[in-house]
Parts: sequence; C-alpha cells; structure tokens
Amino acid sequence: MSPYSLLPRFKAQYDANSQEFSLSGVVRPQAIDELAPSLALLRDAIARVRGVLYVNVRRLTQMNNAAFHAFSRIIIDACRARPDLKFVVITSSVVGWTSRKFSRLSGIEPNITVEEYDSEFYPGQGFLEEGGFVPILRTQTKMTWRHERAILPRHGMRPGIVMADICCGIGDFAVLVQKEFQPSRIVALDHSMSSLNYARQVMREFDIRGIEYTYGDASEMLLDEAQFDLVTCRHSLQIFNRPELILKELYRICKPGGRVYITNEKNSHCLGEPRAESIRWTYNEVAKLFGHFEMDVELGPKSRRYLIETGFEDIRVETFMVTNLDGDPQDFADVIVAWADVYAGEMAVRRGDGPEFVARFRQGFQDHIFAALHPKGYAGWPIWVASGRRPQ
Amino acid sequence: MGAVHHDLAGEPTFEPMIQIDMEIRNFVSAWRHCDYVSTYVARMISQTRSDSVRHSNLFSSAFNELLEVAFRTRHGDGELACRVSRHGATDRIELTFPCVAEERQFYKEAVSQVAGLEARERYVSSVSGDIAPSREIVLLELAVDYNATLRVEEADGDAIKLVVDLPLEGFEH
Ligand SMILES: C[S@@+](CC[C@H](N)C(=O)[O-])C[C@H]1O[C@@H](n2cnc3c(N)ncnc32)[C@H](O)[C@@H]1O
Repeated sequence: MSPYSLLPRFKAQYDANSQEFSLSGVVRPQAIDELAPSLALLRDAIARVRGVLYVNVRRLTQMNNAAFHAFSRIIIDACRARPDLKFVVITSSVVGWTSRKFSRLSGIEPNITVEEYDSEFYPGQGFLEEGGFVPILRTQTKMTWRHERAILPRHGMRPGIVMADICCGIGDFAVLVQKEFQPSRIVALDHSMSSLNYARQVMREFDIRGIEYTYGDASEMLLDEAQFDLVTCRHSLQIFNRPELILKELYRICKPGGRVYITNEKNSHCLGEPRAESIRWTYNEVAKLFGHFEMDVELGPKSRRYLIETGFEDIRVETFMVTNLDGDPQDFADVIVAWADVYAGEMAVRRGDGPEFVARFRQGFQDHIFAALHPKGYAGWPIWVASGRRPQ
Repeated sequence: MGAVHHDLAGEPTFEPMIQIDMEIRNFVSAWRHCDYVSTYVARMISQTRSDSVRHSNLFSSAFNELLEVAFRTRHGDGELACRVSRHGATDRIELTFPCVAEERQFYKEAVSQVAGLEARERYVSSVSGDIAPSREIVLLELAVDYNATLRVEEADGDAIKLVVDLPLEGFEH
C-alpha cells in the first residue's frame, strides 16, 4: 500500500477574476466538519459573485457521497435564495463518475448546468486529435526513432524503469521503447480515443505486453504523484497554448531523481537544397499558421527555459536532424505530403487564406519533396530533445 | 474475454481476483482505511482492464462508498472480508461484515428498494434533502450512477454479505 499522506488531499480555491470555485484531489471526509473551511469558501464565493459562478471539478479525482451532499446543498440552497444566480459545473470527460454525479444537480435546479470540459476547449487542437494525423505520426516516429534510440539512454532510459509516455498518440513510440529497452512498465496517455483504440489494437495483434494505454488529459492527469523514473512527451508541448501547465503535470508524476524528456520542433528551420528559398518561406509560414491557432511549433530551442522554469535541474539539450538520407527518401517525402495536406489544406482554409497564398505555401512543400527525392538533394527536419531531472 | 463458464445453477462463474480480510475492530479504528483499501484494491484489479487508470478511479469511487457503509456498522466484533471477482465486463464485490440484527434487516430492505422503480427519483430527492446521505442512499447511488446491481446474502454469525456487481468496463459517463 502506498504511504498515506498526512497532508490534506484536496484543495478548494476561489478565483474572483474568473468567478470560479474549484475543487481538486481526493475528498473523502468522515465528518462534514473536516470540510468546514472549504464550505465556507464556497458560501463566501456565492455571496460575492454576480451572474455566474463556475464550479470547476475537473481535477476532482474522488469525492464521497457525504462531501458531495454537503457541497451540493450549498449550491442548491443558493439557487433557491438567489434566482438571479447561475451555476456552471465543469466536469472532466476523463474522470468517469463526475459528469453523472454532478448532472443530477441540473435536474434539481434549472439554474445549474453541467458542462464536460473537453478537447474542443483547446485552441486549434481539433486538427491534430482525430483521424487525419495518424499516417503522419507513423512515418514520423519511424524516422525519429533512428536517432532517438541512441539518444534516449543519455536522458535516463534504461531497462527495468517505470515510464510514462504522455500524449502518446497511436503508441508507436511506446512499442519501440518496449522492444528496445524493456522498461518494466509503460503507461501511455492520450486524449484521442481513436488513437488509443488504434494503439490497443496494435498491442493485441502483436501480443505486446507491459503497455497500459489510458485516456486522459495531459494538463490534468489521474496519475499519482512521483511514480515514474522517466516521463516522455514527444512533439506535443508545442501544440498546447500553455505548455507550462503540461510540464507541471509531467514534473508532478515524475519521481524525484527521475527525468522528464521532451522533444519539439522549430518548424521555420526545416530546410532543403535545391530550392532553399521557397522551402524557407513556406516553413516560416508554417510557424505563423500554427501561431494563429495558439500553437508554438518554434518551441524546440525554448525547451531549456521551460524546463528550468518548471523546476528541473541537470538540464540536457541536444538536437538531431531527420533527413532524406536516413533510410528511404520516400519516407521523408511522405511526411511532407501529409504536412502539406493538413497545413495547406484544412488549417489554411480555417484561417481564411486565399488561393494565391495557398498556392505559394504548397509550392514550398513541393520543393522540399523535390529536394528530398533529388539525387543530389538534401532535405532536413530538425528536432530539439531536452530533459531535466526532478530534484530529490 | 475468453470462454464463458457456467456453473450448474446456470450463473456465470466469476473468477476470483483479490481478497482482503481484516478484523472489523481494526478496520473501524481509522477512517482512512476505507480510502486505503478501495484505492489499493482498485489498482490491483484494474491492471488488466483496457484503461487501467480510469477503471481504477471508477472502481475505487464505488468501492469506497461500500466500505464507508461497512465502517458504520454498530457491531464491533468479527471480520470484514472483501472479495473481488470478475466475469467479462463485470466486477463483483462481495463485502462481508458483522452487524447487529436490526442492521441486517435494514440492509435487506434497503437493497430490495434499490431494485425498485423510482430509484433514481428517490436518489435525486435525497440530494436536495437536508440530511446527509444515509446508508440506503449510498447503495441507491451505486445503482443510479454506476449501473450496479446489488443483493444481500446471509453470512455466518452476526454478519451480512453485500454482493455488488459493477459493469464498469466500457462505462461511458
Ligand atoms: C503531435 S501529436 C504527438 C504524438 C506522439 N507523441 C508522437 O510523437 O507521434 C500530439 C498528441 O497529443 C494528443 N493530445 C492533444 N491534447 C491532449 C491532451 N489534452 N491530453 C493528452 N493528449 C493530448 C493528441 O491526441 C496527439 O496524439
């Protein structure tokens, strides 16, 4: 059994700016008195707010019926006393019981609504979450693995460790790690059900053991503190508008003395010869396009700062370049085709780009492919690898 | 899931997963035992579920309520036995604990009410009611929010056995 922490295992907070009362952690009191300060905070919040009070329970992992009743009563009473007030309870799609349990409240008082926080709340994430990206991820992982298998041992990878791969996508990286390094356990988390289903199918078909796929939100994970020797998060920090929140979570689940390993790009540094100019122009535009959707695909070189600011020590940073000379140049070309499809396709359309821009934008990708397949050509995609140790 | 086994009575066979026994005296000496046991058991039995982390969270949530029910027993002697077994998507919790005669009667009635119609209405009206949730309401909530089926079985001595089937695998919120 894990050591029982004597610290209070839940937190209640009120943020006056956003009129949001939030509860997080495990709330399993024996007697309601134990909740007195939190209940008082809720009453106080209700007394101050106008219009809407948001009740955020996204990070609430457990709550017993006694506590649920105590908080609910205050909210229900407030609805009756102040018909002008509305309550919006925000639950998480990850914690299976919360939406059901809290949705009972809206049946009792029409001024209470319950909303499940989900991916659509993330800016621009829709492009990456469902379907379309799967083939790109496959080929990308195949190409980056050639480099990373040699790099990983310098960042804490070794046999027998307990590791987590956060934002695991379709699970290819976890499978490759499992084969090559044999960690004792891999927990692989993603927020895309379709990717996880795919990953589980691969695991069944190839009879792979030791990987546990789980549906979750990287910014609010159900995983316990300090349980992994190595936490990896690849090509993903760059798609969140607030990567520091994800890093905090990666830090939290990492054991003291363990390491967090991240990989990111700097898209504007993709390069090729011949036709360098056109290629450079297009990848500069890629960075701007992602920026428009609040994603920072220029994050790579900022990894060091992010890791330091999260509290990591012994930061190690290195870069590698995936090129058309690693393995089959056609693989490289396939990846570019897929990028062009999404970037110059759906994303450009969503930003409202005109046909002239899109044509020039596409040309750069075509030139990159040209460089990759040219007998004397060279095409590259640089990746920044960084890791930090959680202090003891 | 592999082949379905049926025993002679026609009920599918539940494969044992884990069993934890302790003196009730010991168990009720600290409230946090409910949280301990529910968290520990949930982790152990969820490892083979398709989403171990989420399954464990759900299972712990339901199981903790049952343990809190047992914690409130008025009988101070005997054993608490928790057994978890599995058949396909269903996990079965068998919780045996000592209780006084009236409590046994109470559980029988409470469980028979859970099966009744209007379970949901009764549960909802309890949420807006004044009194903290009774043991009956806690059992009702398992049926309403976790699709649990409950039954009571006789046990040796001054004990009662609650049998709760939880179909959590594939549970969509
Ligand atoms: C660019 S992909 C990287 C996937 C994988 N690490 C790889 O290198 O192939 C980003 C992944 O983050 C996942 N993701 C997006 N938002 C998430 C969130 N809030 N929590 C967990 N995963 C998320 C997406 O589903 C997607 O699989």
